[in-house]
Amino acid sequence: MDNSLIQDLKLLLRPRTMPVLTRGLTRSTRGGATRLLVLGAVGTVFWWGLFGICWRVLRYFHRIEDIGDLLAYKLLSMILIVSFALLLFSSILTSLSKLYLSRDLILVFSLPVAGYRIFIARWLDSTADSSWMVIVFTMPVFLAYGIVFGAGVAYYINTLLALTVLAVIASALSAILVMVGVMIVPATRMRSIVILLGVLLFVVLYLAIRLLRPEQLVNPEVFDSVLVYISSLQAPAAPFLPSTWAYNCIQAALTGTAWASIFHLVLAASFAAAMVCLLVLTADVLYFKGFSKTQTAAARVIRSSGLSDRLFRFLPAPVRSFTVKEIKTFLRDQTQWTQLFLIAALLVIYIYNFDALPLEKSPIQTVYLQNLFSFLNMGLALFVLTAVAARFAYPAVSLEREAFWLVRSAPLSLRAFLLIKFFIYYVPLLVLTEILIVVTNLLLKVTPFMMTLSTVTVFFLVPGIVAMGIGLGAAYPDFKAENPTQTVTSFGGLVFMIACAGYIGLVILLQAGPVYRLFMADLHGRPLSGATWLWTVAAFGAALALSILAIILPLRFGERRLSQVHI
Amino acid sequence: MIELRDLTKAYGTYLAVNRLNLRIAKGEIFGFIGPNGAGKTTTIKMMGGVLAPTEGSVTIAGVNMQAEPEKAKRKIGFIPDRPYLYEKLTGLEFMKFTADVYGVPESRFHERVAGILQMFSLADWSDELIESYSHGMKQRLIMAAALLHEPEVLIVDEPMVGLDPLAIIMVKDLFKRLAAEGVTIFMSTHTLKVAEDICDRIGVITRGRLIASGTTADLQREAHVTSADLEQVFLNLTGKS
Repeated sequence: MDNSLIQDLKLLLRPRTMPVLTRGLTRSTRGGATRLLVLGAVGTVFWWGLFGICWRVLRYFHRIEDIGDLLAYKLLSMILIVSFALLLFSSILTSLSKLYLSRDLILVFSLPVAGYRIFIARWLDSTADSSWMVIVFTMPVFLAYGIVFGAGVAYYINTLLALTVLAVIASALSAILVMVGVMIVPATRMRSIVILLGVLLFVVLYLAIRLLRPEQLVNPEVFDSVLVYISSLQAPAAPFLPSTWAYNCIQAALTGTAWASIFHLVLAASFAAAMVCLLVLTADVLYFKGFSKTQTAAARVIRSSGLSDRLFRFLPAPVRSFTVKEIKTFLRDQTQWTQLFLIAALLVIYIYNFDALPLEKSPIQTVYLQNLFSFLNMGLALFVLTAVAARFAYPAVSLEREAFWLVRSAPLSLRAFLLIKFFIYYVPLLVLTEILIVVTNLLLKVTPFMMTLSTVTVFFLVPGIVAMGIGLGAAYPDFKAENPTQTVTSFGGLVFMIACAGYIGLVILLQAGPVYRLFMADLHGRPLSGATWLWTVAAFGAALALSILAIILPLRFGERRLSQVHI
Repeated sequence: MIELRDLTKAYGTYLAVNRLNLRIAKGEIFGFIGPNGAGKTTTIKMMGGVLAPTEGSVTIAGVNMQAEPEKAKRKIGFIPDRPYLYEKLTGLEFMKFTADVYGVPESRFHERVAGILQMFSLADWSDELIESYSHGMKQRLIMAAALLHEPEVLIVDEPMVGLDPLAIIMVKDLFKRLAAEGVTIFMSTHTLKVAEDICDRIGVITRGRLIASGTTADLQREAHVTSADLEQVFLNLTGKS
């Protein structure tokens, strides 16, 4: 006897729901209760932090007469547009993965279940996966709106429903686009293209917005008249965008016009229902055909030139083998490229922000301020390095994945293996950080003393941060992760970030006092006392010793833990 | 050439391998058979230096694995049961990588690589990324890479898994030829026919213990079987008949 649609959907979704229902969230999550607790704590802090910021901003807007609420509504509109864009992008990637690239699809398609039912089950899974985070982390924003505007219960219910409808629309649209796209381009290549395009778009938009100096928008003197300013705030968003329907629903609920809110909600929901019908019809025609197409391998477009083999010929053979392997696999992995684009954009913005600093408007003496910023910049640049190392150095060992047996069976000690990884990432990260420091110092027009101090301090701290990344990544590897670059969100990744923050903070603290004395003495042409010289030597000596320990200890720890890993 | 002395691996209170003692001479093909979960793969991993034993020692061509692991591993061609490789490298790049790891001189690499890839029917695919290879091709590539540095010892876990009949015949002939040239081969297999066809001696392991070892005739005597094939011998020895 054939199962009903609901029965089939329950069966197909059981592999996702059963582990959580039978073993609970702690035992079905990799890393268990500890990981869940830590990530939960971080998430909670972030959630309440975001709420606090939004509440303060909205309270400030609410107190501005005439245009305050307009600013708040404009902000709400922008938040909903951005959320919808995020939902779309996230849904495209999740749909590609769930519908075409998941490892269990071969098994699922071998089951005696109709293709469209398989599709519906995967699509529901994809919708939940792609939207929960966006909804959960925009809730503090809407909560802040509700509190500041004194909205009733209906507002919160309608907002949640509006966001859910928005997620369904985004997921349905994405799935249709993906199904059509896969008929033209293989799914694996399509995922790489989408990720690359998404990142490029984000980078271009981010750069464009930053270069336009949006901070000037809060200065009405920029506009010729207040009326032009207010009209630009009142300009409605495009009426055909689902985010506009969600905005109309939420805004009506905020102002207490419940029926208007329900009307816009029903409008959006009816569109969502229509999209779902279109989606199922499209799936019936295209889904299995597209999945069959995905089973064939994509042809190689770019052939290797052998440049890296020639470039590293001078290295000893085992070192050369792993270096060349690392570089080739890095450059051929599209997920690494997207991270590189993002980081490049962030670095451009970082440097541009220094150029845009209005130092000449500061009441504090400029020379003092410039050099103070330079000293703080040292810490900031090292935090940027920590973030970059978290994405590249920390997952370096996990990137071996299940091929780690090759390392274990090779005539190469684990120590040598970790040192190879260390040097592969140390050189480019050192160059990157030094460039960052030198360029920002030049923009700040700092004294030669601060330039030397910054570059030398960075030179001694970079190896420690990279060593912590490699060592802690080796101590807490995840060879089974589908995306090893995400391993930094684990317990080990958290330990790495905290350790680096502590290390950088400690070195900055050690240097702060002596550097201040040296700088002020130089500025006022005063000689230094013997005690100050002693303090300076001791502080810098301690910083150097700390840097040496920061290289040795994490690598030793990683080697010891990695030797105990069973593969 | 291979000596296992009181080799033991414990996971908590569970003994996966329990005081295994074996000596395998140079040029011998030794087959290691046993039911699922008997300890075959655990033994193979300890011999390859991929897993540290709880007790006992592994000596490869006179080199103690625990004392000098890199020196011992250089003498081994290790072939695991599952072909996990660097998917973003081409077949040829993976061969070059292996050659460099094992210190094969460049000239020797260029002399040998084309012939080995041809032997394993991978020459036409050598410039494609490994991620586009089938399971069988990946298995063949690992075998090809394991032979590149002319090891003295070959340690193989389930050599025939994923291979087509032609490839199975080729591998059997290859193993016999290598053994005749003095290479010692230690292989675990579920395929009793393969063990019967090519192995000089066979060891039977169950629940972490070596319960019998010897030629096919020796095992028949031990299993009190007169004219039956290895399957009946195996079933009698492991108590499953």
